[in-house]
Amino acid sequence: MRKDQTLGEYLHAQGVSRRGFLKFCSAIASLMALPPSAVSQVAEALAVARRPSVIWLSFQECTGCTESLTRSHAPTVESLIFDAISLDYHHTLQAAAGEGAEAARMAAMQESPGEYLLVVEGSIPIGNPGYSTIAGMSNVDMLMETAANAAAIIAVGTCASFGGIPHASPNPTGAVPVSEIVSNKPIINISGCPPIPVVITGVLAHYLTFGTIPDLDALGRPLAFFGQNIHDRCYRRPFYERGQFAHTFDDEGARKGWCLYELGCKGPTTYNACATLKWNEGTSFPIGSGHGCLGCSEPNFWDKGSFYTPISAGLWGSREALIGAAAAGAALGIGSALAARASKKKAQAEEEAKSS
Amino acid sequence: MTLLDFARGPALQWSLIILVIGVMWRIAGALLIMAKKDLSKPRRKTAVRDGLTTIATRSLPEHQFEKKIRLQHYSGYTWHITLFISVLFFAPHILFFESILGFGWPHLPNDVILVTAAIALAILLALVIRRASHPVQRLISNADDYISVVVVIVPLVTGILASAHIGARYETLLAIHLLTVEALFVWFPFGKLMHAALTFPSRFQAGAAFGRKGVKA
Amino acid sequence: MSSLDVIAVKVEAATGNVEPLLHEIHHALKRVADGKEGTVIDLRSLPLAPGEEEQIEAVLGEGELRAELDALGPTVVQETSYPGVWLVTHRNTELVVVARFIEVTRMPELLNAQRADIQCGITRLETELARCSEETARCHEE
Repeated sequence: MRKDQTLGEYLHAQGVSRRGFLKFCSAIASLMALPPSAVSQVAEALAVARRPSVIWLSFQECTGCTESLTRSHAPTVESLIFDAISLDYHHTLQAAAGEGAEAARMAAMQESPGEYLLVVEGSIPIGNPGYSTIAGMSNVDMLMETAANAAAIIAVGTCASFGGIPHASPNPTGAVPVSEIVSNKPIINISGCPPIPVVITGVLAHYLTFGTIPDLDALGRPLAFFGQNIHDRCYRRPFYERGQFAHTFDDEGARKGWCLYELGCKGPTTYNACATLKWNEGTSFPIGSGHGCLGCSEPNFWDKGSFYTPISAGLWGSREALIGAAAAGAALGIGSALAARASKKKAQAEEEAKSS
Repeated sequence: MTLLDFARGPALQWSLIILVIGVMWRIAGALLIMAKKDLSKPRRKTAVRDGLTTIATRSLPEHQFEKKIRLQHYSGYTWHITLFISVLFFAPHILFFESILGFGWPHLPNDVILVTAAIALAILLALVIRRASHPVQRLISNADDYISVVVVIVPLVTGILASAHIGARYETLLAIHLLTVEALFVWFPFGKLMHAALTFPSRFQAGAAFGRKGVKA
Repeated sequence: MSSLDVIAVKVEAATGNVEPLLHEIHHALKRVADGKEGTVIDLRSLPLAPGEEEQIEAVLGEGELRAELDALGPTVVQETSYPGVWLVTHRNTELVVVARFIEVTRMPELLNAQRADIQCGITRLETELARCSEETARCHEE
C-alpha cells in the first residue's frame, strides 16, 4: 500500500466493495465500543484517513504483546488496521536487520517529524542503562531520541505502561515505565499482560478514524476499554451477589461456575475489557475458564500478595509479630501492675508508720 | 503504594499490633492489681459456679428497673448480635480472619448480612442521636462515649457502601472501609470499647468474690 | 484430552440480560412500525453468560428471508421470525465472528446496493459495452 494512499483507496484497490467497507467499519466501531449509530461517521473518516508511520520499539519485554497482536488469524478485519499503518520499524516483524534496520528507523523519523506514532513495548532499565541495549544504544537513549519528534506514544503492555514484571520487587534493573522518562508527549497506556489484541488495534483504529488520542483514565489508559472493572461486567457477578463462592478449583461451586472471589480473583479492583471482549477472538477469559483474574492491567500487580489471596484478606498477617505484641503488652501490663502494687505497699507502710 | 495497599499492609499491621499490645496491657494490669488478700474463711469450696451465674444474672436487668430501660436493653442486645453476625459470617470477612488466624468457618448468604448490618446501623444511629439529644444522656456523656460509638458506626457505613459498590471506585471504597476498621482497632484498648474484653471477666470476678462470702451477687 | 471430559461441569450462570434485550427489541420494533428510524444493537456490548446468546437466537427464531454476503469473509443477514428484526453476523475469512448486530429496521442498510458500488458497476458496464461493440464491429468487418 502506497503511503500517500488513503485507507479507502487502499481497500478499493484490494477489491473490497463498499458493502465490504461498511462491514469493516461496523466491526471497527464495535471494536472501539462506539454505538452502531457511529458507523457512518467512522466510514466517512476512514475513507479519507492517511497511513501514519509507526515506529515500534522493543525494550525489556517478553514480546508477548507483539505475539498477542500477531497471533490472531490473518487476515482478520482487525489485522487490516495493522496493514493500514506503515510499520516502519519492528524487531520481530521487519525484514531488515542490523544497520539497515536502524537506518529505517532514522528515515521514518526524518520523513514525517511530528507525525509518526511511537509504540513502546517493554520497560526501560535505568538502574544501569547497559542492562538493555539495541545496536549499542541504551533503551533510555533510544526512547528519548525517538520520542523527540513523535506525535504520540503508545505504551503497549503493563511493562511499558507501569513497569510490569521487571519492575516487580526487588526490581534489579531499575526498570521504569515510559511515563517516567518521557513527560512532554501524550502517552496512551494500553496495559495488560498481554493486552487484548483488539484493544491495541482499537486504539490504532481510533487514531486512524479521528486523528486524536482517545479519552484516557487517571492511569492514562483508554476509557473505552479500561473504564469498567472486570467485576462489573463479569457474568459470574450474580453468584457474588448471592454469596455463592467456589472454595477450591474442583469443588461443586467451581463446577457450577460460581464466583472465584475466595480463590483470589482480582476482578473488583482490575480495569480491563476481558469480561466483554474476551480473548482468542471472543472465546473466553480467565474467569470464564475457571481461574480468578490476576489483575494484570493494574500497576504493581506482581507485588500485591499471592494471586490466590482474596482481595478482602490483609497483605500482612504475621502470627509471630502478633504473639510478640501480646507478650510485649502483657509485660507492660504486669510491669505497670507491679509498679502500682509496690507504690501501694509503700503508701500503706508510710501510713502505718505515721499512725504508730 | 496505593491507598488499598496501604490499608491492607502497614496500616493493618500497626493497628493490629497496637490493638494486641493495648488489650494485653490492660487485661494483664487489671488481673494483677488485686484487692487485699481476703483472710476470711471461704463459704464454698470453689466460687466458679457463682462467677458464671453472675455473668448470666447481670446480663438481664434488675426487675425493678426493667420497664424504664427496656428500650435501651433490647436495642442494645439487638445491635450487638446483628453486628457480630455481620462481622463474623460475611464471606469476605471470614477470608480476612483466615489470613490472620489461619482458619475460617462457613458463611451466611450476602442478603442476610445486608439486613443484619442495616439493622445494626439503624439502631446505632438512633441511639447516638438519642444520646446527643436526651437531656440526661447528654449530661452524662463524655468524649469516650461518642468516639466509641462513632468508631463502630463508620465501618458499618463504609462496609455497606463498599459491598454495594456505591460512592466511588471499588478499590477506594474497600480501602476506606479497611482504614475505618483499623481506626476501631487503634481506639479499642483505650476507651469504652474495652468492655468487650472486660465485661465477662469483671462479672465473673464480682460473682466469685461475693460467692466466697456466701452472698448472692 | 478425554480425562478433562470426565470432569462434570454444569454452568449455572445467568446475567439476566436476555429479557431486557427483548424488551429493547420490542420498543424498537414499535418505533419502526410508527415510521420512525430503526435501531441497531451491538450484541458484543452486552455481558452475556455462556448459553445466553443461544437463548436469544432461539427466542428470535428464523424467518423467511436469509441473505449471504461475501465481502472480507462471509456475512449472514437473517430475518428472525419477527419481521423487521434481523440478525447480522459478520465473519472474517477464517470464519471467526468479528461482529454481531441485531438490526430492527425495514431493510438493513447492508442489503441495499451501495452508491459507490453502483458507480463502479456503471463504469465496468460501460467498459464491457465498449468491448462488445468493438467485437461486433470486428465481426462485421470479417
